[in-house]
Amino acid sequence: MVAFRKLTKAGAVPVLITLLIFVAAWEGAIALFHIPDFVLPHLAQIAVRLSSDSHLLADALAATLSESLGGFVIGAVLGLAIASLMVLIVPLERSLLPVAVAINSVPIVAYVPVTLVWFGIGPASKLALVALSTGFVVLINALHGLKQAETGAIDLMRSFGASRLSILRRLQLPAAMPSVVNGLRVAIPRSMIVAIVSEMLGAYRGIGRIIFESTQQVDNLGVWVAVLSASLASVLLYTALVWIDRKLVWWN
Amino acid sequence: MSALSDRAQKALLAGLRSGAVAAGPSWQRRLLTGFLRSPLASMIALALLWEFATIAFAVPRRALPPPSAVFADAWTVRADLLASFGRTLLETLLGFVAGSLLGCLSGITFAYVRTLERSVFPLFVISQSMPVVAFGALVVIWFGNTLLAKVVMALFLSFLPVTVNTLRGLKGVDPQRIGLMRSFGARGFTLFAKLAWPWALPQVMVGLKVAISLSLIGSIVGEWFGETVGLGVMLLQAMYTEDMTRLWTVIVACGLMGSALYGLISLIERRLVWWRSAS
Amino acid sequence: MPTTTAGAPLSIQSTTAPAQLELVNVWKRFGDPAAPTIAVREVDLRIPKGEFVTLVGPSGCGKSTLFNMIAGLIAPDNDGSILLDNVPQPDGKLLGKVSFMPQRDLLFPWRTVLDNAIIALEVEGVPRREARKRAEAMFPEFGLKGFEYHYPQQLSGGMRQRVALMRTFLFERDLLLLDEPFGALDALTRAKMQSWLLDIWARRKRTVLFITHDIDEAIFLGDRVLVMTSRPGTIKCEEIIDLPRPRDPALVTSAQFTTIKRRLLDVIEEESMKSFASEGL
Repeated sequence: MVAFRKLTKAGAVPVLITLLIFVAAWEGAIALFHIPDFVLPHLAQIAVRLSSDSHLLADALAATLSESLGGFVIGAVLGLAIASLMVLIVPLERSLLPVAVAINSVPIVAYVPVTLVWFGIGPASKLALVALSTGFVVLINALHGLKQAETGAIDLMRSFGASRLSILRRLQLPAAMPSVVNGLRVAIPRSMIVAIVSEMLGAYRGIGRIIFESTQQVDNLGVWVAVLSASLASVLLYTALVWIDRKLVWWN
Repeated sequence: MSALSDRAQKALLAGLRSGAVAAGPSWQRRLLTGFLRSPLASMIALALLWEFATIAFAVPRRALPPPSAVFADAWTVRADLLASFGRTLLETLLGFVAGSLLGCLSGITFAYVRTLERSVFPLFVISQSMPVVAFGALVVIWFGNTLLAKVVMALFLSFLPVTVNTLRGLKGVDPQRIGLMRSFGARGFTLFAKLAWPWALPQVMVGLKVAISLSLIGSIVGEWFGETVGLGVMLLQAMYTEDMTRLWTVIVACGLMGSALYGLISLIERRLVWWRSAS
Repeated sequence: MPTTTAGAPLSIQSTTAPAQLELVNVWKRFGDPAAPTIAVREVDLRIPKGEFVTLVGPSGCGKSTLFNMIAGLIAPDNDGSILLDNVPQPDGKLLGKVSFMPQRDLLFPWRTVLDNAIIALEVEGVPRREARKRAEAMFPEFGLKGFEYHYPQQLSGGMRQRVALMRTFLFERDLLLLDEPFGALDALTRAKMQSWLLDIWARRKRTVLFITHDIDEAIFLGDRVLVMTSRPGTIKCEEIIDLPRPRDPALVTSAQFTTIKRRLLDVIEEESMKSFASEGL
């Protein structure tokens, strides 16, 4: 009963109703339009396959998740570091930023083959690509955030004799945090997607590889199951993040 | 200038016109300094640096080809490259336009139909984190190896951000201005057309910018699942033949398309919502 | 002579002139019905046609809530009613009948100054060309000639307020509600705007209800001044301003003015003491 009340409070009831309608529509469409199995499988079939393949999928998801999170951390750190350097050494920004923008104008997926050739089919290529994708988002957001600090406040610190590094640490970095956190929030789901796409073109392990293999073997149910479990993992990751975000940033 | 007498002012103006009195750096100099500071100049500088670095450090072709090699390669396959560029562009634009229109409509619907917003929209938000590109395999199953399949991919990817941003924009309308308009007797459609939509437009543009980049990604990934012509196809072919130079040629082509598309939306943004930065 | 009962706003002058606006026992409560916050309580108000009435009161006393009710944006509680031209107005019916100017100019940044001025007319259904013509005629009077095709961002605060005022006057309704229109302006600009507003009002003869927290402004502008109590707000008293029109800015330092001001200050101080006391100061 308590759980039910909590659900209604969270506004979950309308959503659950929609999901039920969705399920009904799914099965209804199959029955009504005589949709063949390989186009739209029965939800029951998907459920069965999900449970029978659960080990396989869990392993694959673990691999993909570690690639995404690993690349995410690397990218975030690099992005923040480079942004800080750009703020400390002004000419650096003017020369590096156009390069960064140019590199970023290429859709991230176009870099997949290059990373595979450079780093091989193993997890390294996925880490590199995710780091690239995250790095840019964090870089742009961090730059924006670091520049937020008012010139008045900066001048005040300079009058205290603070060095540029000190100003960076004490004033600009804290001021940049909201922007950076925003960037991180955007980058996380993207990390998972980038890792999966990369795996689809070449990998030893990972959910993207399973999707690719299933497509090759014309195992459409397998494709559905893999895609759905990837989606589920993404959703769980996202919810976990929202929760962490709320706990950490309660002071905001 | 006001401190000078009339005659002195006239003399000064005459001098400026004849060039006898320098009013500052000449326009030629300003053009040059402007160019040197532009991103284009940095790119050219970077390309030159890249070129020399590959030669100086004897970087193997397999690792990183110099720009000269990339340009040469692009020239040799220019017909294919152009055809692929055109095809991918078509898929992207069609998907983007369709996805954005649908996205705007659904965003507007969610803004004005409370029940739908409460029941369906949370699912939309969650689905933004789903790896939609993974559905590429399924899309090809449904629509076959056609242009439509790629368009559907691009549509799917652009639909979500446009919906989310349109809704956000519409919900952010200043309540005081709504009150003002209502005090004039404005209702329903008038409120939407004269206040809500223009107010939301900057946020809608943000959604469109995200959508066009995602559309391009959707087209490319869609092509990986089956297509004969397109930048995604060329990418895959280059990967299988391990032709590094070709890979970079296609990457540069993708980059050009990406910037051009983004630039197009930015241009539209500047024409439509030029007032945003001021308010 | 002021009347001091919270309730009957009567004076010899008002009973002869027809009422433009009348509020009868208007209340507004918010929140939990069992223990509501009372924003406005027992307001009885009668404004004759063509008068310029100012309303003063402490912050948070419900002035803006009252205005929102008169403009039709909020409905008064069932205890009371609002009458316009002696016709009782059911909930929501007041929308579009009164010309309302809120505190902020609320101009639309994507519209030119001219198009901002005509927005109310557009809502009314007046064709744009016609509306623009009407507005253009008013620009010189409002000191904005030449700025028709500028955008609000390019104008100073005072100018934007004038555009908002023009918008308010263009919306031809007999009753104008002005909510502290000069509050954000500096003293010099404010003084100019006050004289200029009186000029315009004298020429166009509409009924004006004007909120301010500045007593000088209230006395200088008004034919009568209504004083509102702190929350829950009600009309504490009414003071007829007998000063001659047109009002000369020099009046502000005259003896007559000071007497009126002293009287009003006493009333207001009494109210402030009450609200301070309730805050435990």
